[in-house]
Amino acid sequence: MSWMLPVFLLLCLGCGTIKRVPLYDAFLEGAKEGLETARYILPSLVAMLCAIRAFTACGLMERLCLFLEPAAAWVNLPRETLPLMLFKPLSGSASLAMLREILNEYGPDSRAGLAASVMMGSSETVFYTCGLYLAAAKVKKSRHIIPCALAAWLAGSFMAGALV
Amino acid sequence: MLQWIFGGMTAFALLWGLTSGVGEQTAGAMLKAAEEAVQTAIALAGAYAFFCGMMNIVRKAGAAEGLGKMLSPLLLRLFGPDLPAEALEPVTMNLTANLLGLGNAATPMGIEAARRMGKGNGAASNALCLFLVINASSVQLFPTSVIALRAAAGSADPARIVLPALIATGVSTIVGIASCKCAERIS
Repeated sequence: MSWMLPVFLLLCLGCGTIKRVPLYDAFLEGAKEGLETARYILPSLVAMLCAIRAFTACGLMERLCLFLEPAAAWVNLPRETLPLMLFKPLSGSASLAMLREILNEYGPDSRAGLAASVMMGSSETVFYTCGLYLAAAKVKKSRHIIPCALAAWLAGSFMAGALV
Repeated sequence: MLQWIFGGMTAFALLWGLTSGVGEQTAGAMLKAAEEAVQTAIALAGAYAFFCGMMNIVRKAGAAEGLGKMLSPLLLRLFGPDLPAEALEPVTMNLTANLLGLGNAATPMGIEAARRMGKGNGAASNALCLFLVINASSVQLFPTSVIALRAAAGSADPARIVLPALIATGVSTIVGIASCKCAERIS
């Protein structure tokens, strides 16, 4: 799979060249936006990484993982990834922080690291996304949205265990 | 809700640490984590700048419009007559922006789409339900933050997860759509 990234980047550049996009200027404009995104997520990333690290340092995370072990075995996921699975629908920055911890603690190419990486991309922050759009739609009854979104989240997590 | 996650986890961890004699280490670990969060954000900032720069080239090349043209007949079929005509465009644009990982462009379009679908008697329409479930199940083709974090953690092949991630998110989206269609029949 190591060809994936260079091919993807070449495709991006190729698209731009064919359509005569000013490559450099377009890149700079996008890069500025990317930097702003990083600045925007920094405070919540600090908060969530601190909370998670405190939870790990006092020994509770290990207990939680052991407690969740049966559930992890059921979906065939490494038990270290279960906290990430639980955070995923709740908070984007908490799951980003959790993914960072798993990648650094167990290694990005370990089974836990790979499963966590796949899981991270397989669903969105369900409650945040739904809350935001429901508020925009001025809708009070959300009907089957949350159960169906959580079904999708479960399926994605299950796939992470099955594919890695 | 986030305040409960943050407050609850931190307070509970500190209390637990204090009672089991590792209170100092717990507090110390938090300070260390704050420092490392900034390092992580810097690594992410570089990657975001890079990928957003690249994606902006693709966007300027009209990829979103092209993809949108291919997607809109499909979406029209998927959503059925329940989708107000004026909502098709923002729905398509939101989903294509999400596919390309242009989160900043996707959100305003999604809000516009939701607003146009929200006319009614206070209950979400079938189309709005389906739209939100698709959005919540994530449809990004290239998970840039995951790749960036993997690279920062020293992975030998950061992009190795692209294909499995695509399959996983595809399955989760299909399950979301299928469960929505089932729920529509029941209600």
